Amino acid sequence: MICLKPLLRCLFIAVALQLGAAAIAAEPASVSLEGGAFKVTGWTPPILPPTGGWESILTVHAGRGDVPALLGAYALEAGALVFRPSYPITAGVQYRVALHVPGAPAVEKIIDGPRRDTTPVAHVVSVYPSGDVWPSNQLRLYINFSTAMSRNEVAGHLHILDETGKKLEGVDTVLLPGQELWDPTFQRLTLTFDPGRIKRGLTSNQTVGPPIEEGKTYTLVIDREWPDARGVPMTERFQKVFRGGPAERRTPDPANWTLSPPKPGTSAPLVVTFPTPMNYPLLQRMLEIDSVLGRVDGKIEIAAGETQWRFTPDLPWKAGNYRLIADARLEDRAGNRINQPFDIDVFEKVTKRIETPTVARPFTIK
Amino acid sequence: MRKTHLSCLALLSAITLASPAFAAGAADSLKAGKAELRSAGRLAFGPDGVLFVGDSLGASIVALDTGDTTPAAQAAAIDMTGIDGKVAGLLGTTADKILINAIAVNPISKNAYISVSRGRGPDATPVIVRTAAGGKLEMLSLDNIKNARVSLPNTVAGEGNADQRKRMDAITDIAFTNGKVVVAGLSNEEFSSNLRMISYPFTSAERGASAEIFHGSHGGFETNSPIRTFMTYKINGEDVVLAAYTCTPLVVFKSADLKPGNKVKGKTIAELGAGNRPLDMFAYKKNGADYILMNNSSRGVMKISAAKLESYPAITKPTDITGVPYETVKSLNGIEHIVALDDTHALALVKTSAGQDLKSVALP
Repeated sequence: MICLKPLLRCLFIAVALQLGAAAIAAEPASVSLEGGAFKVTGWTPPILPPTGGWESILTVHAGRGDVPALLGAYALEAGALVFRPSYPITAGVQYRVALHVPGAPAVEKIIDGPRRDTTPVAHVVSVYPSGDVWPSNQLRLYINFSTAMSRNEVAGHLHILDETGKKLEGVDTVLLPGQELWDPTFQRLTLTFDPGRIKRGLTSNQTVGPPIEEGKTYTLVIDREWPDARGVPMTERFQKVFRGGPAERRTPDPANWTLSPPKPGTSAPLVVTFPTPMNYPLLQRMLEIDSVLGRVDGKIEIAAGETQWRFTPDLPWKAGNYRLIADARLEDRAGNRINQPFDIDVFEKVTKRIETPTVARPFTIK
Repeated sequence: MRKTHLSCLALLSAITLASPAFAAGAADSLKAGKAELRSAGRLAFGPDGVLFVGDSLGASIVALDTGDTTPAAQAAAIDMTGIDGKVAGLLGTTADKILINAIAVNPISKNAYISVSRGRGPDATPVIVRTAAGGKLEMLSLDNIKNARVSLPNTVAGEGNADQRKRMDAITDIAFTNGKVVVAGLSNEEFSSNLRMISYPFTSAERGASAEIFHGSHGGFETNSPIRTFMTYKINGEDVVLAAYTCTPLVVFKSADLKPGNKVKGKTIAELGAGNRPLDMFAYKKNGADYILMNNSSRGVMKISAAKLESYPAITKPTDITGVPYETVKSLNGIEHIVALDDTHALALVKTSAGQDLKSVALP
C-alpha cells in the first residue's frame, strides 16, 4: 500500500521551485551586499568552479584606484555564489564589483559600504603641563582627547607658533619630529621636546638654544581637521598660549615638599605641595601612602598646575603615623628625577645620587 | 661503512656546534593556532623563516613561522607604486584607513614582509602582508599559524584608575642575535631606556632581562636618553650593539655588558645632528668596504663608514656633527623605512605625493 499524498506534495513543490527558478533566471544577473558578503543573484552557478576559478566570475575592489581585489573566500550558499571578504566591509568606502556570468553581458557596479557616522565628537580635554609658563627645558607634552584618535597626524595637525604667529618648522622645530607615543586607548598623546636642544653640552643646545626660550610667548595649536579613530574631524580647533620660563635643573627633593595632614576621623585630603610643577602622569602612580597596616587606598587628584597632590582616603583617617612613599623615578616637568637630574654633571660626586628605589616622608595624623 | 658513520657524526656535530639552540629547527617550539596580536609594529627575522613581531599594544613579542624557507640568492626587483593603496585594497579598504608600520626581508627567501594596521585607532586590526612570486601581495594568515608569544613586563600598568593605566612602551626596534630577541622600548611617561634581551625559543618563565642604558657624556653631562633604533655588529671580533638615539648620537655597547640589571654606559662615537629621529640602521659591504646605512626623520639617509670603528675615541666634548665620517645619500629621499634586501640592494618604503611606494634600491 503506497500513500500517494506525500509524492504528490513533493511533485507540486518541485514544479513550484522550477517555476520560481525560471522566474529568477529571467532577471539579469546582479550582485548585492548582504550581511557583509557580496551575493550574486539572477544566476544559478554550477556546482564546481569554472576553470578560471570563481574569481573569473566575480571580483570586488575597494575604492577607485588600480588596486588588487579584496581578499576573501567564495562559497555556494543556497544555490547562489557568495564572496565573503576576509575583513569587514568598511563604512564610507565604495566597492567596485565586476560580474562576468557566462553567456551574459559583463556587469560592473558600485556598491556603497555602510554609511559612515560623520558627526564630530572629538575635542581636546586637557594639555599637560597645565600652567602658562613652561621651563625652557620642558621635556614632555601630554594632550588628552575626549575620544580615541587617529595616529600619524602630528606632522600635519599640531603646530607651535612663535609670537608673530609663524609656525616653528625645520631647524626651528621644537618637538621631536614625527614621534607619537599614544596610550592604549589612543586618547592621550605624548610628545617630546627635542632632547638635542635640551641637553647641556650639545652644540645645538649652545648654538640653536633650548626649544622654549625664556621670556618668549608661544601658541600650541591643534587643528580641527585632526581625525578621530573613525576618521571624523574634531568639533573645534584647540589652542594654548604659554610663555618660556627658566630651565629647571634641580632634582625634586621630597624634603622640600609641604605636607598638610588632615584631622583624624575626617576624609579630608592629605595635600602635598611641591615647589615646582611635576610630571602629571607620573604623579598618578609614583606616590602612595602607607602605615603600619600597609598601603592606604584612596583617590588621587592633581591640582594647582601639577604643584599639588591631593590624596582622599577611602576610609576616614585614623590617628597615627603614616608615610608618603615616593618612587625615586618620579620626574618633574623637565625630566629631573628624585634620584637623578635629567643630565648629570659627571664632575659631581656620584654619591650625591639617591640609589634607593623609594623615598619616604613620614607624617602623623593627630 | 665506518667512514660513513664518522661523516654523519661530524656533520651532526658541526650542525650542533653551529646552532645549538636550533638543531631541531627554530620553528619547532611554535604551536599552531591563532596568533594573539593586538598590533603589528617592528619586524625582525630569526632563523628558519621565523618572523618576530613587536606588538606594542599587546606589550609582547610574537614569533611566527612564516614557512617561507625556499632560498633565493638574489632578490627579485621590487617596484610597487602605491603600496599603501594596494595593501588597503587587499584588506577591503582605502589607503587613508590603514598605516604601514614596518618592513622586513626574509634573509632566506628575500621576500618582503610588511606590518600593517587596518585602521588608525586603537581598534585597528594587525595584518602581515608579504610579497610573493610574480610581484603579487599575499596575506600571512594569523588565524592558523605556528606561533609563540612572550609578554614584556611592566609595559602596561594593569591596575588603578584610568589615568594610571595609560602607560605604554612603544617597541621602537627589535633584532635577533645569538639566540636572543633584543627589544628597545620607549615609554610614553618616564624618560628612560632599557634594552631587553629575551631568549628564544621563548619560555614562560623568562620574560627577558633588561639593562639600563646610558650613552656617553657630551660635554660634562650624561643622560639616559631612550634608544630609538639599533643593530648588532662585530667590532674587532667582539659582539656589540650600535644604537642611535633621538638626539642623535651613535653609541657602541659591548653585548657582553648587557646583563640583567646592569647599568651600561656606552661610548659615543659619532654625533649626527639634532632635530632628528633615527629610524632604521643596518650594515652592508660594498667593494670590500664596510658601511652602515642609517635612515632619519629629518636628515635623510646616511652612509656611515664602518671601517675601524674601534679606533674612534669617545666623544666627550661639546660637539655638533663629528666622529665617524658619513655622507648623506642624495639619491634617497622621502625614505620612511629601509632594510637590507640582498648583497646589492636595500628595500625602501618611500613617501610620495600620492602615497607610499615599496621598491628595491641599489646599495649606495
